[in-house]
Amino acid sequence: MSSTEPPHRSRFRASFADPEQLLGAVKHLRAAGHRVLDTYTPFPVHGMDEAMGLRPSRLPRACLAFAALGLAIAGGFQIWSSAIDYPLRTGGKPLLAIPAFIPVAFELTVLLAGLGVVASFFVAARMRPRLRVPDLHPGANDDQFILAAELGADIQFPAVARELMGLGATESSLLLDDRFQRGDSFWDRPAGIGALLLACLPAFLLLVSVPFLNRDFQKRNLAWDGGMGAPLSAQAYDASGVLPGGQVLQSPPPGTLSRRSEAPLAFAPGKAEAERAGRELQNPHQPTQARFNRGKLVYERVCATCHGREGDNNGSLIVARGAFAPTVLVSPVVRDMPDGRLFHIATFGGPTKMKGYGDLLSREDRWQVVLYIRELQKAAAKPAAVPAPAPATPTGAQP
Amino acid sequence: MSETFTVPARDLTKTGIPTLADIGDRLRGGAWVFVLLGALLLGLGLVLQAERGWGNLLLTAFNLACVGLGGLFLLAIQSITGARWSDPILKAHRAMPALLPVAGVLMLLLAFGAPVLYPWARPDAASQHLLHGRLGWLNPPFFFGRVVLIFAAWIWAGRRLTQQGKGAAPFILVFGLTFSLANFDWLMSLEPVWSSTILAIYGFSGMFLQGIAIVTISAIVLRRVGLLPAVSKAQNHDLGKLLFAFSCFWAYIFLSQFLLIWYANIPEETGPMRLLLQGRWMPLFYLNLLLNFGLPFVLLLQRKAKTSETVLLATCAILLAGRWLDLYLQIMPPVLRGLGPVFGPAELGGILLQLGLGHLACWPVFMKDANPAQELPQAE
Repeated sequence: MSSTEPPHRSRFRASFADPEQLLGAVKHLRAAGHRVLDTYTPFPVHGMDEAMGLRPSRLPRACLAFAALGLAIAGGFQIWSSAIDYPLRTGGKPLLAIPAFIPVAFELTVLLAGLGVVASFFVAARMRPRLRVPDLHPGANDDQFILAAELGADIQFPAVARELMGLGATESSLLLDDRFQRGDSFWDRPAGIGALLLACLPAFLLLVSVPFLNRDFQKRNLAWDGGMGAPLSAQAYDASGVLPGGQVLQSPPPGTLSRRSEAPLAFAPGKAEAERAGRELQNPHQPTQARFNRGKLVYERVCATCHGREGDNNGSLIVARGAFAPTVLVSPVVRDMPDGRLFHIATFGGPTKMKGYGDLLSREDRWQVVLYIRELQKAAAKPAAVPAPAPATPTGAQP
Repeated sequence: MSETFTVPARDLTKTGIPTLADIGDRLRGGAWVFVLLGALLLGLGLVLQAERGWGNLLLTAFNLACVGLGGLFLLAIQSITGARWSDPILKAHRAMPALLPVAGVLMLLLAFGAPVLYPWARPDAASQHLLHGRLGWLNPPFFFGRVVLIFAAWIWAGRRLTQQGKGAAPFILVFGLTFSLANFDWLMSLEPVWSSTILAIYGFSGMFLQGIAIVTISAIVLRRVGLLPAVSKAQNHDLGKLLFAFSCFWAYIFLSQFLLIWYANIPEETGPMRLLLQGRWMPLFYLNLLLNFGLPFVLLLQRKAKTSETVLLATCAILLAGRWLDLYLQIMPPVLRGLGPVFGPAELGGILLQLGLGHLACWPVFMKDANPAQELPQAE
């Protein structure tokens, strides 16, 4: 742009006491072939942009680019942190819980758009700290309305000064400094937009690549142990000086019922009641493939920690740590117990250490676990067959 | 911005151009057809399925009241701030309060249908565990007494403000209280167990957005027929910015209400929301977001679009459709429950009634105010 511009023309200023006069003078000067460089007013004068022939600002482009960057960073980071890197289910919401991401995404979009557009303005206006601006006029940006302009071709200043006085100028003079250069700003050039969009690229790529990064959301694919594995908070089996029983883990209050609102069982805890349950209760469910699968799921989630995946204490965390040995479920003693007694133990707890799971598992799930234990016992009785993972004959045998 | 419009205003000095009065005469016949047809269809809807008939009558009455209040609220804030930018272009907002008495009469008609719509108005309410404690506030005589009081306050304040230009600040105070009460009473009590403290602000955001859309349409139409010859695109830009801002405001309030309910997941709050999010109401739930926020946001994002009359008209039409849908989704799910959305004679009748009554009530005031022959409003 500067190449098409003639190198040097005289520049001048004029000051006015009234915004309307300034507006008129700007229109007049431009019509007469002068180039108005800038105006300095105490407040924005309505219609001045059009009178000066300013193009619409390019700052909205910067605003949009920075807003997109903020949205991409906030969206990408939240998806990465809560669904990929550390997929922790919170409040029963899905891992990719979009509504929960909206406030942060909104705030970051606004923040980056706001900061970015101000920064872009400083860059475009070539403002920087400690910038020395020679005084244009003592009243500039105070109470005077001032314009700076460049003489048109073949026009002498005295003639212009007379015209300006006629238009109401309080003062006008030639400017000696050559400091009112106006060039293209960063945002006028395509490279400016391109550079910023390029900066957005990593975040956009992250967004796009989410489905391909790790299909197994249950697995944490980065295991830096930054204190996560050994947190400072009290653990369930730690001793506690405050809580009743001297232990962190507390039993549910007496009389706690499952939220499934099942009617209370007509049995109380204790060995005698367990034997009565063994006599009086029948497993209401027939073994099917679906019940086998459900029983296996519940057993391996809840029971296998102590009893081992095959019911033989092999692989039990409790045994491995040498705490105590739980009852071996595939032993003849347990095999001979009636279904009702196992159900009673699953509900109210065992004679020694086992806690009751009546408050945790639904009645149906407890019966299904009993069914699954029976299958484990059958598998253990046949030495050749390997019980898990493939069910040997869970359903075919019984109708 | 002194760019020219693509559709130039018509020159009023030429002969053969219809005046405002001509246009009004021409539209009046159509408006009467709309009103009669709308009343007929709504009556048919009442006979076919009472819940839908009464629900659409409530929608019609509430939205007409909202149109009136939208104009009144615009007028009040301009009076308080001493705004002058809007004088040349906004004409409709002075006429819109004329709808308030009409809306009041329709609202009182609901006294006959209250037991169909409102669970607390049914004879068995006293025996219902979740309701009997609320009957001190929600009972038909007190409820309709409040309807009368609220409308009396609005009509009185509207008269004072439009005719004498007085009482803008007290109106804002009274409006804040009465409009909240109206939302809680008329809409929230459709589902008496449900509560949302932000509902009144949500209602306000939709109401005000609709008000801006209507005055925008009127400003553009007035300029095109040649009644606002000196308007530049700067005024359109202002209207576009208002539409854009309040569309975003609506979305902000929508999310503020939705997010808390979604997060906390308390059964009595989530129940009605679940109706919308799952099953047959779900497509409309997302369409509502699209019409009131998504499309206007995309359409109006550019500065150029905010000054374009075509884009503004399209956006306003989308917003008006979105407003109807927004109210439909507040009123109908509690009434129809799992039945799902239906569009039939009752819905069409309600819409026709709104259009027809809107024209018949507002046009005479509009004519008186924007006298086309004498004072053509001049923009700078």
